[in-house]
Amino acid sequence: MINFEEELKKFHPSLEIEEAEDAIYNQDLTDIADLLVGLVKEDKESSLSKEDKQ
Amino acid sequence: MICYNCGATLTHNDFCTNCGADVARYKKIVSTANLLYNMGLDKARVRDLSGATETLRQCLKLDKSNVDARNLLGLVYFEIGEYVLALNEWVISKNLRPTKNIADDYISLLQDNPAKLDTYSQAVKKYNQALSYCYQGSLDLAVIQLKKVLSLNPKYVQAHQLLALLYINDEQWQDAKKELNRCQKIDVGNTITLRYLNETRNILDMDEEDASYPTGGLEIKGRKGVLDSAKKNREVISDTSYAPIARKENKTITTVVNVAIGILIGIAVAYLLILPARITAAREGVDESLKAAGEQLDAKTAQINSLEQELNSSKNQNEKLKEELEIYTGESGKLSAVDSLLGAVNSYLENPDDMKAVADYLDQIDQDTLAGAGESFGTVYKLMMSKVGVDVGSTYYDSGMKAYQSEMYEDAIKDLTKAYTYDNSNGDALYNLGNAYRKSGDIVNAIETYNKVIEEFPDTEMATRSQQYVNELNVD
Repeated sequence: MINFEEELKKFHPSLEIEEAEDAIYNQDLTDIADLLVGLVKEDKESSLSKEDKQ
Repeated sequence: MICYNCGATLTHNDFCTNCGADVARYKKIVSTANLLYNMGLDKARVRDLSGATETLRQCLKLDKSNVDARNLLGLVYFEIGEYVLALNEWVISKNLRPTKNIADDYISLLQDNPAKLDTYSQAVKKYNQALSYCYQGSLDLAVIQLKKVLSLNPKYVQAHQLLALLYINDEQWQDAKKELNRCQKIDVGNTITLRYLNETRNILDMDEEDASYPTGGLEIKGRKGVLDSAKKNREVISDTSYAPIARKENKTITTVVNVAIGILIGIAVAYLLILPARITAAREGVDESLKAAGEQLDAKTAQINSLEQELNSSKNQNEKLKEELEIYTGESGKLSAVDSLLGAVNSYLENPDDMKAVADYLDQIDQDTLAGAGESFGTVYKLMMSKVGVDVGSTYYDSGMKAYQSEMYEDAIKDLTKAYTYDNSNGDALYNLGNAYRKSGDIVNAIETYNKVIEEFPDTEMATRSQQYVNELNVD
């Protein structure tokens, strides 16, 4: 049976045109590829620092 | 596919031939993203827009630079009425690939039609308002608002769903079903739509079965589907065999009651419509009468004021005339003075020796009236005084001196005053008048009289004595 109150909570206000600019600027565009590149860079830096210590 | 490190085009190798970076995992991520894009595209083609949205979002989480996926996601958003989200995706896409990007066309399509964009904006605002009404519990207002939203933007899936939910809450199952069918035409795979639709269909199916088996309540209990408490109540009611008979009886009673209610409403309406008009007309009549009466009252008041003013001026005039008349007719009036003078003249002409009678008449003439009298009056008065004044004065002098010697000073003062008035050359009369005042104890008049003696009869013995008395009295 549908619970009206519970279902109503699933509806959220839509973005208005005036809010579009903020939404674009505040959107988190980080993707898995970014994370991977970051990990690779970190790995490289850590290996370089180890070599320097040796 | 390009290298994430140097931007060079990648080959089939797991490393970049330009910079040597390991691109094996990167290539897998990008390939998975491409796969998800293809899945999203397939879903979009069969109008499973919710599924497509979900898949394309996952694709973009793996690879944000997949411009095709982003453009498609924008298109899907646009199709379900979420224009702002669509614009977001296209703007980001345009930034990622500034040239040769179909997002350009999509953005231009919206921007070149401000009226349409405004309509979409209004729809979003009204939808948010409707949602606010729902949270506040104003569900009827929310339904009205959502209908407006859908007239502005018929593809707004969220608005359709919310309206369907409100209909379900209000047990308007057919209306809910219509809205949900419209949702399904736009987005076939939306789980919310499917769930609501399933619920609605179940209820409607049960209603149809109820209609085909009016006394089959027990069978309904056995069938699959969701049964709510309201449904159970309906089954219990349908079980009772008295229901149809009761309905027939109720129908007749209901008809009679409805007719009675209709008549009452008719009467009420007639009274509500006719009575106010009559009351207004009556009020207007009363107002006009009051206005006329008020005007009359004002006119009368003005007339009364005018008459009062006239009366006051008449009274003042009357008082003045009375005063003037008093001057002529009073005891000391001019007419009285004239009468007295004429009496004196007549008495003198009849018997010149009767000085007493002439003196009585002349005594009645007030000295103030004499001062304000005319020239003829004054001349006659002086003539009479020259004829009888000395003799009358002598008579008064004798009687005054007798009274003085008898120490009757009040009579002495009276007669001696007259003696000097009739004959002002009689210095003895004036001197003895001063003595009478002094002996009667009237010091002020005594000094005044003595001073007059000194002034009128200087260088006489009377003046010397008077001076002595004045000095004595001043010392005292």
